[in-house]
Amino acid sequence: MFNNNQIDTDSLPKIEALDFKLISKNYFKIILLNLALSYGVIISLMFTLKQFIKNTFFHTNFWYFIIVLIILFLIQLFFYKLGFKKRKYALREKDITFSHGYLSNSTTTLPFNRIQHLEISRTFIARKLGLSTLKIYSAGESGGDIIIKGLPKNIADSQYAFLTHILNERV
Amino acid sequence: MKGYNFDTASRQSVKGIVVIFGLNIYKVLKAIVIGAAAYAIEIFKSDKGINIININVIFIVISIVLYFLILATLKYLNFKFYINQKHFILKEGILNKEETSIAISKIQNVYIKQNLIQQIINVVSLSVETAGDNITEIEIKALPKAKAVALKTILLSDSNIAPKDSNVTKAANSIYYKASYKKLLLEGISENHLKSLGFVIAFIVGLYDSFKDLITHFKFTSRFNTYFLLDQQSLFGLVLLNIALLILFLVIAFLFSLVKTMIQNFNLTVYRKKDGLEISKGLFNKISLGLVSSRIQNTTISTNKFKKMLGLYKLSFTQAMVNKKQQQKFNIIGLSKIQINELINTFYPNVFLALNKYKPNRYFILRAAFGCLFALLLVNIPIFFAPIGLLFLNIPIIILLTCNVIYAYRKAYYSVNDHYIVVGSGKFVDTNTSFLETHKMQSVALKQTIFQKRRDLATIKIYSASKALTILHIEIKMARNIYNFLLYKVESEDKDWM
Repeated sequence: MFNNNQIDTDSLPKIEALDFKLISKNYFKIILLNLALSYGVIISLMFTLKQFIKNTFFHTNFWYFIIVLIILFLIQLFFYKLGFKKRKYALREKDITFSHGYLSNSTTTLPFNRIQHLEISRTFIARKLGLSTLKIYSAGESGGDIIIKGLPKNIADSQYAFLTHILNERV
Repeated sequence: MKGYNFDTASRQSVKGIVVIFGLNIYKVLKAIVIGAAAYAIEIFKSDKGINIININVIFIVISIVLYFLILATLKYLNFKFYINQKHFILKEGILNKEETSIAISKIQNVYIKQNLIQQIINVVSLSVETAGDNITEIEIKALPKAKAVALKTILLSDSNIAPKDSNVTKAANSIYYKASYKKLLLEGISENHLKSLGFVIAFIVGLYDSFKDLITHFKFTSRFNTYFLLDQQSLFGLVLLNIALLILFLVIAFLFSLVKTMIQNFNLTVYRKKDGLEISKGLFNKISLGLVSSRIQNTTISTNKFKKMLGLYKLSFTQAMVNKKQQQKFNIIGLSKIQINELINTFYPNVFLALNKYKPNRYFILRAAFGCLFALLLVNIPIFFAPIGLLFLNIPIIILLTCNVIYAYRKAYYSVNDHYIVVGSGKFVDTNTSFLETHKMQSVALKQTIFQKRRDLATIKIYSASKALTILHIEIKMARNIYNFLLYKVESEDKDWM
């Protein structure tokens, strides 16, 4: 590989050697809430439909549907729990890395000199739990942006200030 | 030099009224065509005389035409543009006045286009694209060609780019390539007709849906059925009908892609410019696109089995800060192998010499086969309920899918070096090669599913300001090497990506 350059690839800074930091444990509450909410909506919709639909197939199998939905909910929750430990980020002098996903793990690195703009957003529940979402955008049209959800507010703010400082210095 | 003065506010050509009017009427017609057809059917059905409706209809039509004519005139009168202190300023709006001001240095691209109406009355439209938004909102709909060209030169005359002496630019703009009719015809014939088949079927289904009433009214189906009445019970008749329909659709699809290619690329001409290329093409919608080499992100060579035999290659570019619709038009078809190599070498010097091809892991085949199996199952769900004979449909599908998988692996390769990332991909028929300069990378991702993890494999995705390049299923060690290397390149060199 890379016959063409004199750089020894082994001497390059390694992504695998990064010391990742986990996001706030509180963020799992938000995941749980969101998941419960979406399944809750579907299940309550089913109950409403039960009042209006005369179809016998629907009525005889109604509780099976509900059980299947609950099992799906538990499976999804289980994978979110497994994946939660995989949500981690790391900062280096010249780039930021975010990694997430259990079934399909994805690690994205965005060099600071490619940052286009930054954003901090906080939903209502996140505010209650003292969490922030830090979004770092590149000019990538097809993705490649870094969005770290569930950072403690103070860390997100200091990170934001740090990155803004770097951005300003670049110009 | 042409003596156009843009310092004072000027309107577009008076013909602009016609263009605005025409576009509005076209939009209205497009919106009501189905409704109007349905209405017409109603009239046909009821045996009432046409007299009563006529007066009303004429009155409505006249008032609509009058309304749009007045609207177009007012729009024309209220539309002014000028250049003031390095800013291009547009004023528009009848009741809600709007003023847009763009710093000339921020202008990314200027397009000169001509649709059918504009061609008939001999004017062009000029649209301006700026960095930061995806939509070209600023468009002057009717200008005399010479004036538009003069304005374009001024708008693109960024202080750091060449002096705006039109003679110099003319000399530099030599024709590099002009597609002959024969080439366009061959390109059209060797298109992927299956793709247009999809379009045609979707179109016909949509048409059938909107004209269901009409079709039942004229009893098409019953007439059609009588032809096949004798053997309708037998499967043979059904199959015959379907084959006949399929052949008909295929012929339509063939003509569709042929005509589409010819119209879109009519008079395709490529000019070589100092900082890139200029492509002009189109029969009804004439466009001329500027291609600035520093803004090019991704370049893809594509061909297919038949085109390769005919020596036809297509080169498509993606540029940063260009909207999606415009993006699709940045391509040159009918190029020969030599021309392709020449063009690629201008934008990516020495890329072929430094090419060092690596193949993905064989897991690629397994993964692709699984995907196909899933598709096959999906296709078989409706077949399962159909007569047993249709199961034979699976044979050509399986052959096609198997060939696709084998060729997809054969054609897949990647090469990463100091300056370029090259990714080859393809299927049974198509072959694509994509190029990206390493410093145009925005960010990089390493993806690994649990199945890949077991085999120590990973997928690399390299994001640019347009498309992303994907290197599928390579050894994790190699993937990490590429990942670290690309980051090192981008972070240590600090080159501009645009």
